[in-house]
Amino acid sequence: MRGLRALILGVGGLALAGCAYPPPTPEALAAGDPYEAMNRDTLLLNGKLDRYVVGPTVGIYFLLVPDAGRRGVHNFLGNLALPTIFANDVLQGEVRRAGQSLERLVVNSTLGLGGFLDPASKMGLPGHGEDMGQTFAVWGANEGPYLMLPFFGPSSPRDAAGLVGDALIDPTNQIPFKQHIWWTAGRDYFTLLDLKGQTYQTVRGIQRSSVDYYASLRSFWRQYRAEQIRNGRAPAPANLPDF
Amino acid sequence: MTLPLMRRAVLVAAILFAAPMALVRPAAAANVAEAFVADNIHKGLEVLNNKKLSTVQRRDQFETFLLGLVDVRRIGLFTLGQYRRGAPPEDLDAFIAAFRNYAVAAYQSYFARYSGQTLTVTGSTERSPTDFIVATQLVDPNSSQPPLEVDFRVRTDTGKPVLVDVSVSGIWLSLEERDQFTAFLGQNGGNIRTLITHLSDLAVNLGKPSN
Repeated sequence: MRGLRALILGVGGLALAGCAYPPPTPEALAAGDPYEAMNRDTLLLNGKLDRYVVGPTVGIYFLLVPDAGRRGVHNFLGNLALPTIFANDVLQGEVRRAGQSLERLVVNSTLGLGGFLDPASKMGLPGHGEDMGQTFAVWGANEGPYLMLPFFGPSSPRDAAGLVGDALIDPTNQIPFKQHIWWTAGRDYFTLLDLKGQTYQTVRGIQRSSVDYYASLRSFWRQYRAEQIRNGRAPAPANLPDF
Repeated sequence: MTLPLMRRAVLVAAILFAAPMALVRPAAAANVAEAFVADNIHKGLEVLNNKKLSTVQRRDQFETFLLGLVDVRRIGLFTLGQYRRGAPPEDLDAFIAAFRNYAVAAYQSYFARYSGQTLTVTGSTERSPTDFIVATQLVDPNSSQPPLEVDFRVRTDTGKPVLVDVSVSGIWLSLEERDQFTAFLGQNGGNIRTLITHLSDLAVNLGKPSN
């Protein structure tokens, strides 16, 4: 729940900080990014946090934990997320995918030794992602302006609200036990390490080949989220621009 | 046979002959687009997978392959968005030349990640009689991950098929390039010359080995 408080404080802080920036340019408005000046500064801040705080520990993590161990951590974190994914599958009316999530949870929590192994994928039950931001999109909520959140990265008001919603329905947040903060902090930090490990090459590639890294990230993020919301189904061809 | 009846018979005959053609033509065109993707992407992956080639040979062969396949001018002009309008023709030509070098370096960097993988065409969608999206799957034989969905947008309006965009897991590269180029131009007063200089520097840096 501390992570949730940090998110709410972060969004509130951003709303206040946004008042200190000049009005948006016509280009920023056309790109659906009225807070572009502030978002660019937040991306710089995230880059510094990444370089001086997260980056070094990612290096240590890769040095100390072998590939099989990192895969186990990835599987375990994925298994912890399954109840939230299942709830969002249900909320979106995705019955088949909800069944798949539930089966994965049962199989990987038992045969997969608490989620460290992923026998479900080998049994024809592949994993998928789902979150409350996507659920809001399926229910018809607009994305809203682009936001770059401190720590959390690219987002939108819809996705930020989704993060809060996911934290509220996550059953591990409802279990009362002492030192809950260490559990939450540890889980969030390993999720970050795992994400960094999964996306390091891709992000480096984007940074290296970008004319404008900020705009490139914004475009990748929006297209990626649209793809997630469609659950991988092909977009209507009419939605693509003409060349 | 009266004149109205004759007219109706001719009309029916015309429809009967035209209908199969209307049904067959898009499918044939779609097959052309699918075959174009299947043949050429295999060739591109072969160039990237060929361990016998030196770095320079691989880059040169990939450039020849890519420029014979992709409509660079069409993509380049698209990526300028609203800044294309009113730009001097000499600036546009200089931009296309810089974009060509950048695209070769950037696409080689993108596709090098998929070397060693096999591609299968799984179908196609017709946007218009000369505009197709060919769906493929890239399979990594050394990974248990599900296949990667890669779509290719093929135009056939210039007489021969040309590639105008590629989508990896739903992310279209030309759209992404347009978004970042127009943002860059917005930040730099719409000056295409500044973008040309930046693209040329990037093409040089992308040609160097990454650290």
